[in-house]
Amino acid sequence: MTSVTHEASLKEQFQSGLERGELLIQTCNNCGRPNMYPRHFCPFCQSDDLTFTPSGGHGVLHSYTVVRAVPPRGFEPDLPYALAVVKLDEGVQLAARLEPTSDGSWDGYACDAKITFSPGPSKHTGRGPVAWFRLADRS
Amino acid sequence: MTEPTEVPPLRVDAGAPNDPLFIGIGELPSGKFPGRSFMRMLTEVAIRALRDANVKTTEVDTILLIPCLHSFDDQADLVFSRMVEELGLQGQAKTSFMVHSGGSTSDNAVRTASGLIASGHARTVLVLQAERWGSADLEEMVTMLTLNGIPQEWERASGMSFNAIGALIHERYMHDTGSTPEDMAGICVSLRKWAQLNPNAMFKDRELTVEKVLASKMICDPLHAMECPPLADGAAAFVMTSRENADGRVDKAVRVAGSGGCVSHYSIGQERNLSQLGWKTAAARAYAQSGWGPEDAQFGEIYDSYAAITAIGAEGLGLCPEGDAARWIASGATSPGGDFPLNTNGGLLSAGHTGVGGGTALLIEGVRQLMGKAESDRQIADARRAVIGGSGGSYMDAQVLLLEQVDLGETR
Repeated sequence: MTSVTHEASLKEQFQSGLERGELLIQTCNNCGRPNMYPRHFCPFCQSDDLTFTPSGGHGVLHSYTVVRAVPPRGFEPDLPYALAVVKLDEGVQLAARLEPTSDGSWDGYACDAKITFSPGPSKHTGRGPVAWFRLADRS
Repeated sequence: MTEPTEVPPLRVDAGAPNDPLFIGIGELPSGKFPGRSFMRMLTEVAIRALRDANVKTTEVDTILLIPCLHSFDDQADLVFSRMVEELGLQGQAKTSFMVHSGGSTSDNAVRTASGLIASGHARTVLVLQAERWGSADLEEMVTMLTLNGIPQEWERASGMSFNAIGALIHERYMHDTGSTPEDMAGICVSLRKWAQLNPNAMFKDRELTVEKVLASKMICDPLHAMECPPLADGAAAFVMTSRENADGRVDKAVRVAGSGGCVSHYSIGQERNLSQLGWKTAAARAYAQSGWGPEDAQFGEIYDSYAAITAIGAEGLGLCPEGDAARWIASGATSPGGDFPLNTNGGLLSAGHTGVGGGTALLIEGVRQLMGKAESDRQIADARRAVIGGSGGSYMDAQVLLLEQVDLGETR
């Protein structure tokens, strides 16, 4: 086993990726399988030889909601905001924020819609960066 | 993921001297009772359950505590055996400890108590729960709640909340089943009809209609305010002991014919199927142990902090065809007078969400019905077998208990 880095490093590495505009997926160098959320040991083969690589950023919306009232403490200025569970093409999934469409609403979204990772708004919230997604461009 | 290898379940035979039985329950009314102290609630509900079980306080050798989520101080009292002193059992109780898996704690407390009793490590187990969600300090309560079940590193910065989690499940469930907003609101209405028959329910006096639910404020699409659980104070307790120690105490007891569970995620962002969760797997495991199926039960009590949770549970448990649960419940089939009564105390949505205790209240309602002790207008005729379902955290798990009536009067 390689030397143990300090405990906060997984979150820091994931978040510094988001700050660079990259959604990082951890992949195991031993068995080759991706996992999410980041872990200290591969959940499939228990190796600790794991590498972060940027996701292609494409996926589908498993579900979503627009939070309109009673948010957690400190999130009142964000209202309304949309949360989602996103399934990425790489086979892993995560919770994320959704960008409103150009009319300011989330009416254009639906379960199973194709969506794309987006760097999201650049404003600093003091809470750490979050993954954002938007509707994929029609092709 | 590969399917887990199933090992044939062991069971304690009905009638065996070490078969663990429920022999008594206690409950206090749910609602907002700012003047009711936490310790008084716990002690009073303990005394009620022990009297119901025909058990002397000094016969209790093991106390299991179901956590509260309103105060760090009160939680510490539960963990560190305060109830042993309150009940006068210092120097006598073998052990007192907390079991905690959020909303499914009561199911896991039953498993823990059953294991201790069947193996001889405990004789008489008292399980206690009290909560002050209806009247406690909001700041501390919200702080405690958000520490439970939303991953701090990966999801808290997004603004995830329990209402949002409920909404994510509702949205996917409605998408997959074609259930309408009216169907989902109809589940709340069915629960209210049961609450109106339950003197311990928070909303026993307020009628509800689909129109009222859908006219209430939108909180998290597609969840309206009246589809979000009302936070309540409440307390519940039960007593379990071995069959040989139960004889002569009560006429009717309740045994655990089977149990099954499935933890399908920790983070809501990692749930692979939000419209199914872990219910099918948990149900298959429970029915394999009981040897009887959903068609053999007369009623159910399924965790319902949001309507879709109950609907998904009912489908996974095989109580109705897959995808039909919301329409089935909204049709009145599970309401008072219906074919298959469901959540006969009014559930968390109408009896009150007493934190971790919401599942405990549903569980003891199931036991109460099987003992024939519900109020006459709520008692299910010929209730012999019940399906109980619980879930904790971000609906991380599905926990199933299959209960059946034991007639001790025959052998007295």
